[in-house]
Amino acid sequence: MIQIQNLKKSFRTEEVETLALNNVNFKVEDGEFAAIMGPSGCGKSTLLNIIGMLDNPTEGSYQFAGNEVGGLKERQRTELRKGNLGFVFQSFNLIDELTVFENVELPLIYLKMGKSERREKVMKVLERMKIAHREKHFPHQLSGGQQQRVAIARAVVTNPKLILADEPTGNLDSKNGIEVMNLLTELNQEGTTIVMVTHSDRDSHYAHRVINLFDGQIVTESQNRAVGAMI
Amino acid sequence: MFKNYLKIAWRNLKKNKGYTVINVGGLALGMAVTLIIGLWVEDELTYNDYFSNHDHIAQVYQSQTFNGNVSTGQAIPRPLEMELREKYGDNFEHLIMSSWNISRYLGYKEKSLSKNGNYMQRPAPEMLDLKIIKGEKDGLREINSVMLSASSAQALFGDEDPIGKSVEVNNQYDVAVSAVYEDIPANNSFSDLDFIMPWDKLLATQEWMRNAVDSWGNNSFQMFVQIDENVTMEGVTKAILNSKQEANENSVLFDAKIFLLPMNDWYLRSNFENGKQYGGRIKYVWLFSIIGAFVLLLACINFMNLSTARSEKRAKEVGIRKSIGSQRGQLIYQFLSESFLVVLFAFFVAIVIVFFGLNGFNELASKKIEFPWSNGLFWLISALFILTTALLAGSYPALYLSSFRPVDVLKGTFKAGKYAGLPRKILVVIQFTVSVAFIIGTVIVMQQINHAKNRPVGYDKEGLVQIPTMSQDFAGKYDLMRAEFLKSNAVVEMSASSSPTTQIWSNRSGFIWDGKPEGFQEDLAWTEVTPEYVKSLNMKIIAGRDFSREFASDSSAVLLNETAVKYLGIEDPVGKFLRDDNDEDPNPPLKIIGVVQDMITQSPYEPVKQGVYVFANDDSSYYNLRLNPEQSASQNIAIIEGVFKEHFPDLPFQYDFIDDEYGEKFASEERIGTLAGIFTALAILISCLGLFGLTSFVAEQRTKEIGVRKVLGASTFNVWNMLSKDFLKLVTISCFIAIPVSYYVMNGWLQDYPYRVILEWWIFVLAVVGALAITILTVSYQAIKAANANPVTSLRTE
Repeated sequence: MIQIQNLKKSFRTEEVETLALNNVNFKVEDGEFAAIMGPSGCGKSTLLNIIGMLDNPTEGSYQFAGNEVGGLKERQRTELRKGNLGFVFQSFNLIDELTVFENVELPLIYLKMGKSERREKVMKVLERMKIAHREKHFPHQLSGGQQQRVAIARAVVTNPKLILADEPTGNLDSKNGIEVMNLLTELNQEGTTIVMVTHSDRDSHYAHRVINLFDGQIVTESQNRAVGAMI
Repeated sequence: MFKNYLKIAWRNLKKNKGYTVINVGGLALGMAVTLIIGLWVEDELTYNDYFSNHDHIAQVYQSQTFNGNVSTGQAIPRPLEMELREKYGDNFEHLIMSSWNISRYLGYKEKSLSKNGNYMQRPAPEMLDLKIIKGEKDGLREINSVMLSASSAQALFGDEDPIGKSVEVNNQYDVAVSAVYEDIPANNSFSDLDFIMPWDKLLATQEWMRNAVDSWGNNSFQMFVQIDENVTMEGVTKAILNSKQEANENSVLFDAKIFLLPMNDWYLRSNFENGKQYGGRIKYVWLFSIIGAFVLLLACINFMNLSTARSEKRAKEVGIRKSIGSQRGQLIYQFLSESFLVVLFAFFVAIVIVFFGLNGFNELASKKIEFPWSNGLFWLISALFILTTALLAGSYPALYLSSFRPVDVLKGTFKAGKYAGLPRKILVVIQFTVSVAFIIGTVIVMQQINHAKNRPVGYDKEGLVQIPTMSQDFAGKYDLMRAEFLKSNAVVEMSASSSPTTQIWSNRSGFIWDGKPEGFQEDLAWTEVTPEYVKSLNMKIIAGRDFSREFASDSSAVLLNETAVKYLGIEDPVGKFLRDDNDEDPNPPLKIIGVVQDMITQSPYEPVKQGVYVFANDDSSYYNLRLNPEQSASQNIAIIEGVFKEHFPDLPFQYDFIDDEYGEKFASEERIGTLAGIFTALAILISCLGLFGLTSFVAEQRTKEIGVRKVLGASTFNVWNMLSKDFLKLVTISCFIAIPVSYYVMNGWLQDYPYRVILEWWIFVLAVVGALAITILTVSYQAIKAANANPVTSLRTE
């Protein structure tokens, strides 16, 4: 699904140029669950943003489902993102002014889906995330765990091929954290590819493979033997 | 999708109530001002549109040159009528001679009312396309007929059918009502047309008018035309330009030019300078249109500034929407929808403000504007207005907010860049430049009005009353009435004059005097007065003596005003003569017996015109009564009315206080000044609302910085200073831009007034100090609130 070759990303300010990613190469297969780990500032989130087509690489190739997307324009990236990618963020990133239902419904609106179909899909995913009873609540009326479940619901409502999770448990207590990781694992088992950035060793154990970044380069890649051991 | 946008916009408005009040309130105020100005401008621009033929109607004007000065006006000589009919008749559908709008007593049974109207030739009702309610349109066919406006007919006849009823005019003759026409609306040059009588009736009763049939030098009439469908106003003007000179040799001397002033120009473009249309009321239409546009711009700037200042709060939403598939165009559309919602909301508030404010505005502006509820065009224009305002206010925030990169904002670390605040600063500078320029402009307008008001008028206008005496009933009764009024003790002196105190009704030329320069063409204001005139007005004789009944020779005596002495170039004028230039049948020479101080009779902004006061015994247009200062004015008036009614029981008692009449000269400027003052105050209020909102956001943004500074020992003053100085800097920049601009504009405006105030530096200093004081007041509330907040709380918020 994802093939990255010789990828570089640099940020330039008036005085200095910082190389955030330096010659990164890796692949993520369909249905895989990959975790990216590394210390703060190693380039994890930059890599995830590029994979999520929120940002373009400075150099190198990035192929998504066989298509080169590295040099696409904002508009084309948005079109490609729509329906193919789902995002889960550490800080949930729900729209405060929309209810649970409306937040989850939003990606379907952008896909120009009909109203009744939207309702059906949203309710289905909310029920699955066990948050349907809160459909009319606003984000600030929910606990952190509930908010992250809504965020996951929003990420999966379009049945995306790929879910990108950026420290999905970073703002949660351990009980809620485990619940979220179990949900992601479940989705993966159903066929969704997941790439997750995390600081947490425990969370990384849910992944099939762990990619370790340091100073913008992949330093190690390891396969997890006991995937799902903590489910 | 649109529903989703409106939903989020509505929830945002509800959530941030303070912001909503400032935004909607400011916009509503701005839109209300623009709407009111829009209605006013529409009223001004559609003046005279009531007549269906208004595009083809014109008045015949004349320009004449006296010693290089071109004087332009509506007064034309009678023989011009036949000249135009015979030689240029093809150009006209109708050509109508008319009297001026004059006052007549109309009597029916016991009732007698004073009404204004014109004597006009037969096709007038057709030219004006009067809407006939009763009777016939050709109502001027019979010489003894009168056409009445609906309200005049109602006032005179009540519920009776007026058609065919006899009306007594000035107790002089009877006419029969031939038609009743719909009242002509207020925004019309003929709004005072309470009646129309046949032109021939006037000729039949006025010998001097009949005698003027061949007199090219007697410019005392007016003429209206409706041009033919196949010609243009310019074309006709070109054809008739020299018609008077071609028909009358003497006119060549004054370079008389005859031209048409289209009806569409009567109200807004009827000022002339050197024979050319110049300025006029249209400049106020422009002025207020510009004010309206600027006030709306100020309100839109508030919207832009507050929206972009809140950008950090909206950034996350932009990031999320973009990450889940929203295109930038969709976000622009979303933010424009939000601005549309706010503007729509503000528009409804503005409609309420306009609805309740319209009466007060009408009173201030002396208008009768009604809210156009049922006018489809108004609502269509309003819809366009809402869309334009939404685009104007929403475009910049939409472009700015939708430009955020999701990568930057989703991590929650988004901070607007170093220059992100620059457009906001520029907009604040624009707002305050406009506000400061408005302040300066208003102060100068007020100053100019006061300058003219404080100008010495040359007589004592307090306690002076005039009574119109144009009816035949007054003929030969001056001495009797003077004796009666003086005996009543309500009046201490009385005189009569051929013109009202505050106007010049007649001008003369054709004199010779010792030392008259060759080719000099004089133009003298001509007022016939009884010998008590100077005393009754408390004018000052500065050379020679006043008129006296003791000297029989005074019947051919005149007084000059100071300007006339300089104008005629007569040194030591007392005892010298003004002789008639007519060799064939000259009038007796006029002996100059004295010189009076200049007296303002025309515009208080213009120099006093050279004038002659001529001894007259009786025939007059006005009585001038000096009230007894020992009694109250109301007591005096009650007594005068009693005496009047005793002698003229059938006439209504009419009178005017001269100081009120004089005050009318300032009415237009005062109205403009008051309205400009109100709009300036609103413009400043809107700007301050924006500044207030902006300060609260800045204080909120810098909460952590303020906390740290306080922990490190900053005082309340330090924090206040830190938050205020940025805004004070911007307002100071505004002042530097506003001062030269307003100096240039206002200096140009003042050039239209020969008697004008000098622009002094303190006006500009005052505006700057005022603007800075307003800024400090506005900013301080938020700044002091932020400075007094507990630093522990503010640090915890981060």
